[in-house]
Amino acid sequence: MPDKSQLARIGGRAGRGVLGLVGIAVVIATLGAATLVTLPTLERDPQSSEIEPLPSEQQRVCPGPLLTLAEDSTQAQAASSVGAASAVYGAVSGSSLEQIRPQVTEITAVDDSNSRQPPLLLTVPVQEGSVLPPLVAGSQSQVAATDTIGGLAVAACAEAVSDSWIVGGSTDIGRTSLLLLSNPTTVLATVNVTVSGESGLVDAPGATGILVQPGEQRVISLAGLAPNVKSPVLHVQSRGGQVAASLEQSSIRGIEPGGVEIVGTTAIPATNQIIAGVRVMTAVSEGTETTGEGFNADTPSVRVFVPGSVAATVQIGVTSADGTAEGTSTQVEVEPGIATEIPLAPLVVGSYSVQLRSDEPIVAAARTATDSAGGKDFGWFSASAPLEGSFAVAVAAGPSPTLHLRNSGAADASLTLTPSAGTPIDLEVDAGASATVPLANGAVYVVSGGSELWALVDYSGDGVLSSFALNPPGPLASSIRVYTH
Amino acid sequence: MQPRVTAILVARNGAKHLERTLKALSLQTRKPDIVITVDCGSSDATAKMLAAFGPTQFIAADADLNFGQAITAAVRVTTPPTHDRELLWLLAQDSAPEPNALEALLDALEIAPSVAVAGPKVMEWIAGEYIHDFGESMTPSGTTVTLVESELDQGQHDGLSDVLAVGAGGMLVRHTVWEQLGGFDPALPTVDDSLDFCVRVRLAGYRVSVVPAARVASAGDGVAGPNQSSRGRLRRRRVRAERSAQLHRRLVYAPAGALVFHWLSLLPLAFVRSIGQLLRKEPGAIVGEFSAAFGAAFNGMRVGNARRSLAKTRTLGWDAISTLRVPSAEVRRRHSLKREASLFGLHGERSEIRFFSGGGAWTMLAAAVVGVIMMVPLLGADTLTGGGLLPLSPSLPDLWANVGYGWRDLGLGFVGAADPFAAVVAVLGSIAFWSPSFALVLVYALAFPLAAVGAWMAATRLTDRGSLRALAAALWVLAPTFLIALADGRPAAIMVHLLLPWLFFAWFAAARTWSASASAALLFAAVVACAPSLAPALLLVWALSVALAGRRVMRFVGIPLPAFALALPLIVDQGLRGSWLNLVADPGLPVPSGQAPTLQLLLGLPGTDGWAAVLDRFGASGLDPQLFVPLLLAPLAALALLALLLPGARLASGAWLVALLGFGTALAANQLVLASIGAEPVRVWTGSGLSLYWLGLVGALVIGLRSLHRFASTPGVVAALALAVVVLPLVASLHLGTAAVREGTGQTQPAFVAAEAQIDPRVGTLQLVPQADGGLLATIERGVGATLNQQSTLDSTDQTLSAREKALAKLAGNLASRSGLDTSADLAEFGIRFIVLQPAGASVDAADTALRTETALDGNAALAPVGDTEFGRLWQFGETDAAASTPIPARAGGAFGFVTLLMALAVVGSAVLLSLPIGAGREAVRQANRDAIRRAARANAKQKPKRARRVKVVSDLDADLEVPLGTDLEADLAIDRETGVGTGLESDDGFDDAADPVEDDNAR
Repeated sequence: MPDKSQLARIGGRAGRGVLGLVGIAVVIATLGAATLVTLPTLERDPQSSEIEPLPSEQQRVCPGPLLTLAEDSTQAQAASSVGAASAVYGAVSGSSLEQIRPQVTEITAVDDSNSRQPPLLLTVPVQEGSVLPPLVAGSQSQVAATDTIGGLAVAACAEAVSDSWIVGGSTDIGRTSLLLLSNPTTVLATVNVTVSGESGLVDAPGATGILVQPGEQRVISLAGLAPNVKSPVLHVQSRGGQVAASLEQSSIRGIEPGGVEIVGTTAIPATNQIIAGVRVMTAVSEGTETTGEGFNADTPSVRVFVPGSVAATVQIGVTSADGTAEGTSTQVEVEPGIATEIPLAPLVVGSYSVQLRSDEPIVAAARTATDSAGGKDFGWFSASAPLEGSFAVAVAAGPSPTLHLRNSGAADASLTLTPSAGTPIDLEVDAGASATVPLANGAVYVVSGGSELWALVDYSGDGVLSSFALNPPGPLASSIRVYTH
Repeated sequence: MQPRVTAILVARNGAKHLERTLKALSLQTRKPDIVITVDCGSSDATAKMLAAFGPTQFIAADADLNFGQAITAAVRVTTPPTHDRELLWLLAQDSAPEPNALEALLDALEIAPSVAVAGPKVMEWIAGEYIHDFGESMTPSGTTVTLVESELDQGQHDGLSDVLAVGAGGMLVRHTVWEQLGGFDPALPTVDDSLDFCVRVRLAGYRVSVVPAARVASAGDGVAGPNQSSRGRLRRRRVRAERSAQLHRRLVYAPAGALVFHWLSLLPLAFVRSIGQLLRKEPGAIVGEFSAAFGAAFNGMRVGNARRSLAKTRTLGWDAISTLRVPSAEVRRRHSLKREASLFGLHGERSEIRFFSGGGAWTMLAAAVVGVIMMVPLLGADTLTGGGLLPLSPSLPDLWANVGYGWRDLGLGFVGAADPFAAVVAVLGSIAFWSPSFALVLVYALAFPLAAVGAWMAATRLTDRGSLRALAAALWVLAPTFLIALADGRPAAIMVHLLLPWLFFAWFAAARTWSASASAALLFAAVVACAPSLAPALLLVWALSVALAGRRVMRFVGIPLPAFALALPLIVDQGLRGSWLNLVADPGLPVPSGQAPTLQLLLGLPGTDGWAAVLDRFGASGLDPQLFVPLLLAPLAALALLALLLPGARLASGAWLVALLGFGTALAANQLVLASIGAEPVRVWTGSGLSLYWLGLVGALVIGLRSLHRFASTPGVVAALALAVVVLPLVASLHLGTAAVREGTGQTQPAFVAAEAQIDPRVGTLQLVPQADGGLLATIERGVGATLNQQSTLDSTDQTLSAREKALAKLAGNLASRSGLDTSADLAEFGIRFIVLQPAGASVDAADTALRTETALDGNAALAPVGDTEFGRLWQFGETDAAASTPIPARAGGAFGFVTLLMALAVVGSAVLLSLPIGAGREAVRQANRDAIRRAARANAKQKPKRARRVKVVSDLDADLEVPLGTDLEADLAIDRETGVGTGLESDDGFDDAADPVEDDNAR
């Protein structure tokens, strides 16, 4: 029989064991409870200042007259201008919407051997005491009818930027593409052009380190950089000064001119691209060949390019601008680094807006053509950036200019188009809807009341077709959030 | 005429010893003729016993009478002496004379008429064969010397006769001389009263003699002579009384001309001696040091009276006693002999750490090898960069200028408190004084061996087994939080992990020695400086330690003081802002981290374990790291939990408490976003809390395995191997390229700017960093760029924008835009000569901002592009205006900065002095000797067959014997034997506090 001390020892051990188990239970319960309970968080937001940069003078560069190569056979690569472009421009104060007269100077076209009419530089100084930059608009148009060039070419006078994309052009047989680079700044610009085509990146040694002196325009034949590329996509980057880039494309079918266009810059890579207006002049039926040998280059199509390294799935939605035709939607897989032409079919004659949604950033532009008794012409319709707030539209002379608007914002917009002379036009554009407005030749409109609009102006007539997109001032003048610690 | 002896017995609450004394008195072979007993207001049975003894006179006096005054009161009731054979025998309650004592004393006085005072050989009360004290003297400078004390009496001192002085208890003095000299000096209540009296006797032309044949036992009650207790308060009081007496005598004995110099030297000496007291680990004596100095300085009446009475009776010059003094060299020789004996005894009993023979060196070597394997990509680096790593200020003065309250040269600069971490960085940088930035490389190079040594040493507090210590080191080195901190480049978190085991090591011994206590205080300050988020948990542990410390509470109370002194300016600054919580923000360069899931924290991982990426890389997608990582860590947790069931569970529960506190800290840190860098909010780093969590876990595991004895090895090895598998991706992070840290160039600015900074050290560079939200971070860096010691949580947690910051934001915003602002004037005003645009991260918005900014800067005619550098694109601002470079304002800290700096210096300096492991002082050695004798005697007297642990046996004998606490030496003697800490004995002591050993001491 165990004696007292033994009992006490056994009891002590048992007690210790029970206490130990209680301890384990407490530990596990505490840790378990910690994983189950959602604790409140305390987060201090970083402090920052939203800085509205002081408005600076606004500059726009018009591309200048159409150019042609090899008029003089001894200088096959030299360009010379053909005729003259007529420009329309205007500016209003950002806050009071008063008319301001832009200062107009000229850019020296050093590569134009026949420099009759140099490109124009519009400069609008900041109004005294104004906190908003002025609204500036300008556009130019030119109808060419020579042996080698024929058709209508309109272009917006653009702001110089350091990074731009041009989707358009071709250096295939019978096609001529000239890259126009204008440097309106006071600093030397060093421009690098990256050309990608239907078979990927084009190795173009001459495309880097192009020097554009302040106040000068350079003309570079794309064929010299990337010969025999059917679908080039250009990425223009400048260091130092900024450049306004545009691409003049002309074609010859056999012995007659096949049209001319000045392609402006398209919107920078993004997953959502909107082309506010695409005019189809020739109906595309279901049976139209969209691939292979029978493919006609004049079939309305969208050229899409993925700058990244991952293939993109692109949803292309085409809706009628005036709601008269059914919208279509197609989904395409686009390989990265390869410019891809995607035909838009079937389409009836009319104007459309095209929206491209992608899972990777893309750049895009659409091309349509006309072929009628009056001649052949084609037009490029570039994607643009949304216009926030009021903007101005300058309508260069040309056949039936039409403003295409697309409201992709969340709210309906009631817009007022105030021309420089004449009666204002009121317009309702529902959220997600499109609208077209015929414009008066030679007028400058101020469009107010919108919050997020995509806009494009096109011209069409008998055998002529052209367009330019409207872009907001570059992000350089937008507000920026600054942290100081 | 026959000699007449009047015995005067003074007692105060002395019933305990009185019985033996009275009995001894009645057994005298030569009985005193008159017995006068004086009761000084006792509250116990003393008065009754004294009255019952049947004295000639019984005097009931006040409690506040000291020995000299009580004797005077008794003398007053006697008849005045008529001849010099009337004698007074001074006795206290604890002066038990041997039967022939009075006879021998009387003989000495009878034989030699010139002898006026005869003193007995005072023996120990219990250890009767030991001499308590036998004769007193002074050094030439006046320090009291006891001629013989705490020695075994083998008759070796029986030849001694003429001495300078004798002790008060048992002294036989001629009544006439007593009257002539006016008795003891009332300014010397307990200490040196008889020494001073005897000196005056000598100077009046008489002799003082010891009588070896007369033996009186003394218990050191404090009635005659000072209380000999080693209990803290009584001991401090005695030390103060000794110093007071010494200063009083110095002023009394000094020639009139030297009086002024002595008086002026009182306070400076107190300062110098205080430093000495700190070094001697006697911080408690400092108060006494000053109060003695003040007491001596401002009690002129007492010194004057004493000087007058000395002058009145003095017939001989000071030369007359010079031969009786003990030379200082002799005192030093005696002290060193004794100290050697004490230390010998100490080492004989104390278990050694056995770093080399116990496998510590091998563990360190193995850790170093693993460290080299992890750090191969960094081999040969002069500086490191990435994560939170930045260079340090290039020179020591710069390094230390960033400590304390003053100008913070960060960004625009501001006046405010530095983080205490800056002091830690300054100390680190001073170690690598030739190139302070190299200190960080040293930390990385030595991180593994240092962590291993720290953990190994900490484990010595828990176990004696080398294998378990090595296991603890392995688990500590492979802690995921440590490896992630290394890979992420978090210098503060690395330091925390390196210091925590040492903090535990020192804290565990803090109850035992002042040295450990002060070390713990310094380590506490360093840990809290590196990770302020640990402060609440550590303060809780500290509060528990204080609550459980019992008598040794003073050794714990001061532990947070250095940390508090260092952080005081910051606490004030954040307090003025009203944001106390910001105090726990991590110091150093803010490094953002994502919120960790609680389950991940539970595994000790502050960040990802890296397995997902590794498996993805090698294409083994079948395994789920979320499944096997917890499984692999399970043995570790199971063993730690098992410890709660095994012997040593109390200690293990303490370990688990620490672990839970650490986990709670990590959990709370996970929810706190206090700081920000640019647009990125910075979460408080959870890893520091997890280091504490891991410390508790490893501690519990070691305690558990310790109790498994020979079954410990297999589970321990399994747990360590499983952990090693879990952390493989972390160890390989530098090889896999997942680590943020990489070899640096020693610069944070482009070489062009660095070259310019050589000419103008204040040259300003505007750093622009595109942010993921499309914003822009704009900061100004002066000279060669940002340094780690400049970083300030005041800046990173600032929730306001000053006018200057707004102006800078406006400048930066316009610089990054096409703007109409004339930026030249602003650039010159801010002293900006260069602009660096750092490359954008992966974010699209940041890339847009970078492009926009670059375009705007390129187009700015006032700026000249220099080109692309490894730190981004560089522009130079053409206008060079040397006057614009803003100098650092002088004395920006003002009076507040100076005062707080002095306070921090005083507190930290005291802690450093106290922590230096210099041996105990003279007084401590004396005390240790006395206590050792008593303990030995007591052990002999008891002869207990078995020691009853944890039972308080308070016998009469025990109660009067003080527990030998108070000095480092004897405390070491006491505790090591009692608790078995470090000796492999099972110990049930508290985990972080040695509160229980205090009880154990009583239990003997």
